[in-house]
Amino acid sequence: MARARKVFFRRRKVCKFCADKIDYIDYKDVKLLQQFIPERSKILPRRISGTCANHQRPLQQAIKRARHLALIPFTTD
Amino acid sequence: MRTYELMFVVDPRVADEDVVTMTQEYKNMIAGGGSQITGEENWGRRKLAYPINKLNEGKYVLLYIGSEGGKTALPEVEHRMRQNDKILRYLTVRTDEDLKRAARRQPASGAGSPAAPDTGEAPAPETAPQEEEA
Repeated sequence: MARARKVFFRRRKVCKFCADKIDYIDYKDVKLLQQFIPERSKILPRRISGTCANHQRPLQQAIKRARHLALIPFTTD
Repeated sequence: MRTYELMFVVDPRVADEDVVTMTQEYKNMIAGGGSQITGEENWGRRKLAYPINKLNEGKYVLLYIGSEGGKTALPEVEHRMRQNDKILRYLTVRTDEDLKRAARRQPASGAGSPAAPDTGEAPAPETAPQEEEA
């Protein structure tokens, strides 16, 4: 998109779960969770991902559950 | 009704038939405790995200459980799983409350059919639909 040359333009962040109307965040949905664990496998903070507080909480829970079952890693080294 | 999901990871060296018998055993225990099995998924062999007991793969089994009354055999089942060293990991999750909350939020926005939520243009330009398959 041809944006105006604004130096401090930031794209507006939207909560993915609000936008896609995902209300139940399933720990089994590895593909979805993977979007919120970057390279080092840490949980992506809200200030980066733009996820709203109401969705970050269950997301965090789901990621931790998935980690326990070895669906996603705790860390990558 | 309370619903639960019970997922466990079995040592990949255990033969498939034995996984089935093992699963059946747990299912019998759950059924004996007055709950019913509402669904079952066998994910089969799957790579683990990190090694557990020096194993890199595991066989995943998932049970959906519904329970009417207060008591279930789940604590007993968990106890047995903990002692079974063929079971690498297990996790029981109670799902009814979260699913109910999700269901309550759904009709508020997309009344009726959840099949076609798209309505023309979205005000925000940066809402790229990432993936559609579950």
